[in-house]
Amino acid sequence: MPRAVVCYKWVPAENELRLDPVTRAVDTSSARWKVSDYDRNAIEAGRVLAAERGAELVALTFGDAGAKASQKDVLARGADRAVHVVSAAAGSADGHVTAHALAAQVRALGDVEVVLCGEGAADTYAHEVGPRVAEVLGWPVVTNVRELAVQGERLHAVRVVGGDLEAVECDLPAVVTVLAEVGPAPIPGLKAVIAAGRKPGEQVAVDALGLAPDALAPRTVVTRVTGYAAERSRVLLDAGEPAERVAALVSALTETGAL
Amino acid sequence: MTADTTAMPTDVVHVVAEPHEVAGLVVLALSADPTAAVHVMCLGVPDPATAQALTGCGAMSVVVLAAGAPVPSPGLDRPEDYVPAVAERLAGATPGLVLVPATVSGWEIAARLATRLGCGLVSEATSVRRLPDGGWCAERTLYAGAAVQGLEWHGRAVVSAAAGRGGPGALPPPDAGGAGSGGPVALETVVVDRDTRVRVTSRTSRERDAVDLSAASRVVCVGMGVQTLDDLALVEDLARALGAELACTRPVAEDRGWLPVDRYIGISGASVHPDLYVGVGVSGQVQHTVGIRDARTVVAINTDASAALMGQCDHGLVGDLRELVPLLAGAVRAAGVPS
Ligand SMILES: Cc1cc2nc3c(=O)[nH]c(=O)nc-3n(C[C@H](O)[C@H](O)[C@H](O)COP(=O)(O)OP(=O)(O)OC[C@H]3O[C@@H](n4cnc5c(N)ncnc54)[C@H](O)[C@@H]3O)c2cc1C
Ligand SMILES: Nc1ncnc2c1ncn2[C@@H]1O[C@H](COP(=O)(O)O)[C@@H](O)[C@H]1O
Repeated sequence: MPRAVVCYKWVPAENELRLDPVTRAVDTSSARWKVSDYDRNAIEAGRVLAAERGAELVALTFGDAGAKASQKDVLARGADRAVHVVSAAAGSADGHVTAHALAAQVRALGDVEVVLCGEGAADTYAHEVGPRVAEVLGWPVVTNVRELAVQGERLHAVRVVGGDLEAVECDLPAVVTVLAEVGPAPIPGLKAVIAAGRKPGEQVAVDALGLAPDALAPRTVVTRVTGYAAERSRVLLDAGEPAERVAALVSALTETGAL
Repeated sequence: MTADTTAMPTDVVHVVAEPHEVAGLVVLALSADPTAAVHVMCLGVPDPATAQALTGCGAMSVVVLAAGAPVPSPGLDRPEDYVPAVAERLAGATPGLVLVPATVSGWEIAARLATRLGCGLVSEATSVRRLPDGGWCAERTLYAGAAVQGLEWHGRAVVSAAAGRGGPGALPPPDAGGAGSGGPVALETVVVDRDTRVRVTSRTSRERDAVDLSAASRVVCVGMGVQTLDDLALVEDLARALGAELACTRPVAEDRGWLPVDRYIGISGASVHPDLYVGVGVSGQVQHTVGIRDARTVVAINTDASAALMGQCDHGLVGDLRELVPLLAGAVRAAGVPS
């Protein structure tokens, strides 16, 4: 059976980050984690594509032990199988390492005709990993896609490139990175959630992929992550008649010179 | 560790860009390091005016990569298709920084070049600096604007940076003291093979307004809470009363298609810095609010007092926009606000 692979990242929710009041260092320990936003659209696009092709849809992630918790979610979203490449060092991996790990697992799966990625991950938003995976595999890549179709061995896509819509075609296998606009990502229903419990979730140690040490050596090192805190007056006008609230706003804006 | 700047090797920066993007990136390179030796690889043949400008852009050399046969029909060429040719040339060049524009094409080119060169990538860097020990450091946005990340590396890396929006405009012009080449250079044209695996079948322009939101002094922003075209008309009227530009959140433009895509604000859209921003039915996710950080005064109109924007505004008007927006437009007009 041919395969389609969707690469997804397990990330902390950006609106649940805590900041150290003094250093503004970001603390992710109390944040919930989620499947990166656009990767959910990618999974749905992959589900539709795999159904059309009679292909198996594999949801693939590279992450530390914590990412195992993501598998239920992606299986409920329609993946037939979830594969988690586990590395204790994933937290300090850069795009180079991530792409080599993902590409090695794609090769190990075999028979893959398309790899889907999100346009950018919710944390890094680097637009990096998809094209990197393509280069490691030696496949063509089509980025920033909002429409996608496969006919025979050929992929047709519409890319958003600045102010233009660019229709392209290429032969399979290929890597595609999708925009949220490729299609909505429905919240899985109860049936899908229950079905997910019966689907296989696999863990593969990154060391089992036979990668050279150089492929797993990060090229860039993160030295700090500092949060941003908005400094605004936050005056809520929530009491009184609507006309009074509006009048209060207009006079406040006039006083501060905003009007 | 003490810095021994005299032992520092000369910085080499390779600019890899389409003709119209080259000059902006050279400015960026020279403002990051005025002593850098900047070499340009121009992806595609410039028109005569651009070519003229490139000879004096401050780079030490400019190589124009021209597509060899089969020449694609004009307008269907892609800068992405030069990646193998560029990688081949860079593999033999002095390592250093490879600077690429942070555009959709640039993102792909940057990532593919970095992979072919086996090096790191800093995507959409907001600053790049040489370290005293010969390494480099850079900053970039993380969590769609909720944080800033500092990075370091040694050796070669590809860096993409915005040379357009908010870029060179804020930087000194090329002749403002950069070492560069010290004079005009001849453009050298090299015919190279293109990567033809991805073929363009058509290209169409999306509806655009050519609006410069970043120059607006007042902005009224339509969010998904504006649910009907009648609601939209109310918000448009408020914008008129305020003499404000109309803007929106991403889904209003991309999903609903209510406003042209150059009117949406956020990490993947425009950044604004008006005196007044009024968000109507905008929840205030960070991907959007990162684009309004420099607004002097932020007003939120939302039924939900706990919406994220309520915690990041100066004045939060809680209630239904259908009721509040017409009242506000009326009050603004009654107050005789100059628009
Ligand atoms: C990687 C990434 C990049 C993104 N880039 C961008 C970007 O550049 N720009 C951008 O805007 N978004 C971007 N987004 C999307 C962003 O996360 C939010 O989904 C989006 O900004 C939400 O738009 P909204 O506030 O209009 O809609 P919603 O979040 O749906 O909010 C609608 C609001 O309207 C209020 N409301 C409803 N009815 C009424 C009423 N009658 N009166 C008053 N208020 C009402 C609701 O209470 C709610 O708060 C990005 C997302 C990702 C993952
Ligand atoms: N650790 C990871 N595991 C699986 N997929 C990833 C990972 N990191 C990035 N990706 C994929 O690459 C896309 C772009 O990520 P980035 O280049 O970091 O913005 C994401 O949307 C995912 O599809």
